[in-house]
Amino acid sequence: MAWREVISLDELQPDAAKGVEVEGTPVALYRLAEEVFATHGICTHALAFLADGFVEDGKVECPLHQGLFDIRSGKALCAPLTKDLQTYAVKIEGRKVFVDLEASGSKSPNANDKQSGALTPATPGRDPVIVVGAGQAAAAAIRALREGGYAGPIDLFGDERHPPYERPPLSKDVLLGKATLESCTRLTDSELKELKITPHLGRRVIGIEPKSKKIRTESGEERGYSSLLLTTGGVPRRLAIPGDDLPGVHYLRTVEHAAAIGKSFSVAKKVVIVGGGFIGMELASVASSLGLSTVVLEREGELLSRVLPPFLGKAFRNLAESHGAIVRCGTSVQAIERTKSGLLVRTTAGNFEADTVCIGVGLVPETDLAAQAGCELDSGIVVNVEQRTSVPDIWAAGDCALHHSTLRGRRGRLESWHNAEEQGAAAGRSIAGSTLSPRGNPQPWFWTDQFGLNIQMLGVPAADDKIALGGPEGKSGAVYWLSDPSTGELTSVVAFSAPAAIRSARKYFEEGGKFDAAKAGATLIEENTNEESSAVQTVSSKTSKDFVWPSEGLTRVPDWVYTDRYIYEREIERIFHGRTWNFVALASEVPNVGDFIRSNVGPTPVVVSRAEDGSIHVFENRCMHRAAEFCRELSGNAKEFVCPYHQWSYDLKGNLAGVPFRRGVGGKGGMPASFKPSEHGLKRLKVTEHRGVVFASYYEDMEPLAEYLGPEILREFEATFDGRKPKVLGHYRHSLPGNWKLYHENLKDPYHATLLHTFLVTFGLLVAGNKSSMISDSSGRHGVMASAKSDASKLNSDTKKEMRAYKEGMTLEEPRFMDFVNEFDSPWSVTMATIWPNLIIQREMNTLGVRQIVPTGPNEFIMKWTMFGFEGDDEDMTRHRLRQGNLMGPAGFLGLEDNEAIKFVQDGMISVPNGKHVVELDPGVIGTSDTLISEASIRAMYQHWRAAMDL
Amino acid sequence: MLAKNPAGANVDLIGAMLLRYEIEQFNSVYATALDEQRLTDWADMFAEDGAYVVLSRENEDRKHPVGLIYCENRGMIRDRAFALQKTAMFAPRYLRHIISNVQVTGQSAGGEISASANYIVLQVLFDRPDAKIHQIGIYKDIFRRTEAGLRLVQRRCVYDNLLVDNALCIPV
Repeated sequence: MAWREVISLDELQPDAAKGVEVEGTPVALYRLAEEVFATHGICTHALAFLADGFVEDGKVECPLHQGLFDIRSGKALCAPLTKDLQTYAVKIEGRKVFVDLEASGSKSPNANDKQSGALTPATPGRDPVIVVGAGQAAAAAIRALREGGYAGPIDLFGDERHPPYERPPLSKDVLLGKATLESCTRLTDSELKELKITPHLGRRVIGIEPKSKKIRTESGEERGYSSLLLTTGGVPRRLAIPGDDLPGVHYLRTVEHAAAIGKSFSVAKKVVIVGGGFIGMELASVASSLGLSTVVLEREGELLSRVLPPFLGKAFRNLAESHGAIVRCGTSVQAIERTKSGLLVRTTAGNFEADTVCIGVGLVPETDLAAQAGCELDSGIVVNVEQRTSVPDIWAAGDCALHHSTLRGRRGRLESWHNAEEQGAAAGRSIAGSTLSPRGNPQPWFWTDQFGLNIQMLGVPAADDKIALGGPEGKSGAVYWLSDPSTGELTSVVAFSAPAAIRSARKYFEEGGKFDAAKAGATLIEENTNEESSAVQTVSSKTSKDFVWPSEGLTRVPDWVYTDRYIYEREIERIFHGRTWNFVALASEVPNVGDFIRSNVGPTPVVVSRAEDGSIHVFENRCMHRAAEFCRELSGNAKEFVCPYHQWSYDLKGNLAGVPFRRGVGGKGGMPASFKPSEHGLKRLKVTEHRGVVFASYYEDMEPLAEYLGPEILREFEATFDGRKPKVLGHYRHSLPGNWKLYHENLKDPYHATLLHTFLVTFGLLVAGNKSSMISDSSGRHGVMASAKSDASKLNSDTKKEMRAYKEGMTLEEPRFMDFVNEFDSPWSVTMATIWPNLIIQREMNTLGVRQIVPTGPNEFIMKWTMFGFEGDDEDMTRHRLRQGNLMGPAGFLGLEDNEAIKFVQDGMISVPNGKHVVELDPGVIGTSDTLISEASIRAMYQHWRAAMDL
Repeated sequence: MLAKNPAGANVDLIGAMLLRYEIEQFNSVYATALDEQRLTDWADMFAEDGAYVVLSRENEDRKHPVGLIYCENRGMIRDRAFALQKTAMFAPRYLRHIISNVQVTGQSAGGEISASANYIVLQVLFDRPDAKIHQIGIYKDIFRRTEAGLRLVQRRCVYDNLLVDNALCIPV
């Protein structure tokens, strides 16, 4: 006994697994009710950590292939598991958990764990159950026979010399040397002995006489059977072209085939794979991972086109291509020839050189024996739900047998590990006469490992199914939900390294009903068969497929909204350069003719200038000749703008005035005669001004500003710009390491005000009980956060209790800077207006400012503040505004905290992929809210943003 | 050189050196108080009517009065010190204030001394590898000699950098 303390009980979540390492052994710990259990940390089937698994009803489901183990006993409960899990003894002392690796934790064998009752005694002299074909279905059948209580003799005949082994690793890990025949074996020699099976391996059965219930072997030996199970599998389909049997041309079915392919890959440089099915693509994956030049030739127009919709086939193709494999669809192989240097594959799309050719064009089921016995055949052996054939006492299972029921109206075979397991077990139970337990999982399930992804498929897809996509297209995490176009029901799910999706899909199938893409967090993909428009489609639909909004709707905001460069570029195009009014200046910054300032629309530098006629003009700060940002002063006065590089000059309205040497010199050089300066003026923007605030737009037909703002926002705008003439007091400029929208959200989020800004609460300036409002316009893009100052002494004690940092007795030495001179016709002492997309109007009591957002990338923006008072302010009032300015700006008591918080948010997103924000406060409301504890305006903003961005 | 000057000039020069030394010493103490984030000690280096303003060169050149920090007297400076220490939320950081090029520019009849100095503030965020130049500028100072030594009647910190890197959390 060696007890090792491994963890504190408090670290174990109920109904979840936790991984620890005990003396180098990975151990998974589980807390079930009040007890703790320990098992080995790794699944007995494949390398997967059970700590990542899913715990339910005392079982743990492996994250990789959904094998289930009983946590208490470690017993393997379903396919694909065959080996039980090691359990360890656990004790708890105090709150500490101890594990003993040398002692098993298994409870004494539970009667329920094994089939109850004595085994059926063997009838002396009775003929054995004969199993013909020693593959995986045979192994499953034999286990089920014994578990079902059959104790009589069982004879196992197999063409291959090996005891039953599973074949999926042959096209993957065996080739890479990560798996061996031993690790693939499903019934070892010792297990055969233990289960009292008489093996006849390497002995071929060539005949059946169903009347006398005998089989005949190659060597002429006859043997009677009580029951006969055919698990004869199949053989690889031959290509039937000249040269398909040349040395260096491989098929894959057996472990010997795999060994030969593995050997050839170790010396080859160029591999051609014929057939782009799952086996072909797995081989391509292995070959390209070994650094071989890999070409896949597929006869059909797209990969997997007979089983999957073309959109999904394309996803598989893109995956392969992104890993360097070359995939040629619509290509038929005509011949394979031997050349001096290797092989030449002649195809309808030209010739391909190869050192090794692998052919994976399907499986021909081995049904000769069944035919001889008179079993009904279709494209395989016809069986019922018990796997019985049409001939008495003959069963069939695995690749050679059809599925017992029609699959989407068709009879068909399922060449999969899961099917071999299910059918084999069903046959075994039926032969044993055990009550047929309902089949575990009615939906066919299949997985393939290729190009670094574990791709699982549940259900029966068809080529014309509709597809809804969740997650990033064609990448890890992509989940394709396929539904029947006529019934709307879910038919299948294909998940790229997303095992959790398979689990939720199972639930979906259990519940049935019409498939709802939105509920599954997926977006329907419109397939377009027209070649021309599908090309267009690929471009325009790129975003909607790559950027899928969370299924919860507006209560979640995905991180890519804030961090993705493509989204940022789209924002410039659709928002800042789209149908919006962008703040560029206060008119009082350019009071006189010739006055100019530099400004920005989105990230784009512009110049705001006042022309001779008094009008204000906005144009890009980019010379039409060679793009130079010609205006270098932040502000000034000019008669014209001259680009210093080649002296091109522009007037105060942005028109091109002069081009030096336009006519050349001495009749040589110069601009062509057709050059018209009027066509080469600076890029000019639409301009509007309201109460001394100047806006510009790239959009030609912008609605008037009043209409753009809407009545609620206009009212607050005009409450601040009340007709007095703004007078500039100065600027703040700072860079913020966050996404620009976070600034809008900060001011559409009244929830943070009393929580982040301790200063406000400490000095009783803003408390949860203040009269306040969060107003949105009808479009959701603009907002005003408003509150009215109240007297701290009048607050009731309940409200005070809610406030984190309210401290009576903390006072300022100079509290007058917090005074409010009520100079506005407004019920509010504070309003923060967010004018989409780039303006904040700050009226924090008497400190006034406009803040201009200049985005510089997804992760950073610049904020330019223009602080102002009004003409007519006396010295005292100006000083009061300046003193109160200590609240705001990059060093403001409140301002610096907002800047820091925005940085923290961006930091939190940058290194953590695929996150999303929770924006749920004030449920059901989108837009104006009468409580501070609300995020309804953020949701309103994203409702607008998504429409503007078409996302 | 010294020996050739008239005796009176030497006395003036020594007086100027001592004053300069005194101001340099003051600035070193000032910088250390800020580097160690002893903001109350920092606030006490101002006279009761001492003004402290941090503003951009852009504003200074255009005669715009707006400051990142705008304190008209020591009460406001103390309020800032108190607010920063007790209520403000910002990421932890180290700062180094480097003060150099001290020049005495004048003395008033009342004994107040005008001076200037260049400053650099280097900032290291605890979780970032590099020190960044957070601010670079000039102090425009007026000192008053008190019983407790020199005190600031005015420090206008005029910074050259156009953009503040996110936020100015600790004074300069």
